Amino acid sequence: MNECTFDDLQAGQRYTSAGITLTEAAMVDFALSYDPQPIHVDAHAAAGGPFGGLIASGIHTLAICCRLVQLTKPWVAACLGSPGIDELRWLKPVRAGDTLHVVTEIRELRPSRSRPDRGTVLLRHEVINQDGEVVLTFNIPELVARRAGSTTERAPAP
Amino acid sequence: MSDRFFDDFRPGERFETPGTTLSESMLLDFAYRYDPQPFHLDVPAAAKSIYGGLIASGFQTLVHAYRMFISEGVFAACAMGSPAMDEVRWIKPVRPGDTLRVAGEVRESRPSRSKPDRGILRMDYQVLNQADEAVMTFSITHLLARRPTS
Repeated sequence: MNECTFDDLQAGQRYTSAGITLTEAAMVDFALSYDPQPIHVDAHAAAGGPFGGLIASGIHTLAICCRLVQLTKPWVAACLGSPGIDELRWLKPVRAGDTLHVVTEIRELRPSRSRPDRGTVLLRHEVINQDGEVVLTFNIPELVARRAGSTTERAPAP
Repeated sequence: MSDRFFDDFRPGERFETPGTTLSESMLLDFAYRYDPQPFHLDVPAAAKSIYGGLIASGFQTLVHAYRMFISEGVFAACAMGSPAMDEVRWIKPVRPGDTLRVAGEVRESRPSRSKPDRGILRMDYQVLNQADEAVMTFSITHLLARRPTS
């Protein structure tokens, strides 16, 4: 876990996280802090709302994904942060009792031209429920440290 | 709070929240739960990192900004969920003691073709610190209920 760097990664590699079961209490607790809308915190109001019941805040699903990925990816120690997220899609509602896991794929590896000590790893995360339905997807580039003394000549995967 | 519906929003309209200060303990608490990387969670390790000190998880800046904006109540009467977020950019680190506020601007507004009870509103959000620097920007596509016809 501690030794994995940019130079150990390859495009196409996939990582599957452990699962997490989301309780109604966890959903309401998160939403009270960060997304206090009736469809996320008020079961009775939500029952008459557009989803016919309480659903998890989409940013809660995103935060859970972040946590599961931290437990799964082998380059945690080499990660230097991220500049952003693209094309995030909430595809299906997440409800109390759903069990989520994350499948992460390395899409592309780009060594930095200006900083030889790091590279960009382009990741695509898919959050999947117990029925195999994809509930959330997004793309995120991460800056990842290179192994000391590694060459900048390593060609990115085609 | 407001009783706005989809029909009441116009491109270019702008809404701004008051500020809130993020303490070091808030940063550590969030990182412990959701983003346990050393530069978010471990003060001495963060000091030696490329950031030179503890910084907030970018996910924390996002959810904190979202919370501030939702609490303004602009969408309280009409929110029907959100299918997409795009162009998330973490521009500057957020550090303990920073005070953040959020400005949201309507980029685009169009009625749903398939569902006449709702419309699609694209909002551009900017998270600003106490020096008026944008620390983060993002864009969310909101589904909003149309004003009920009497």
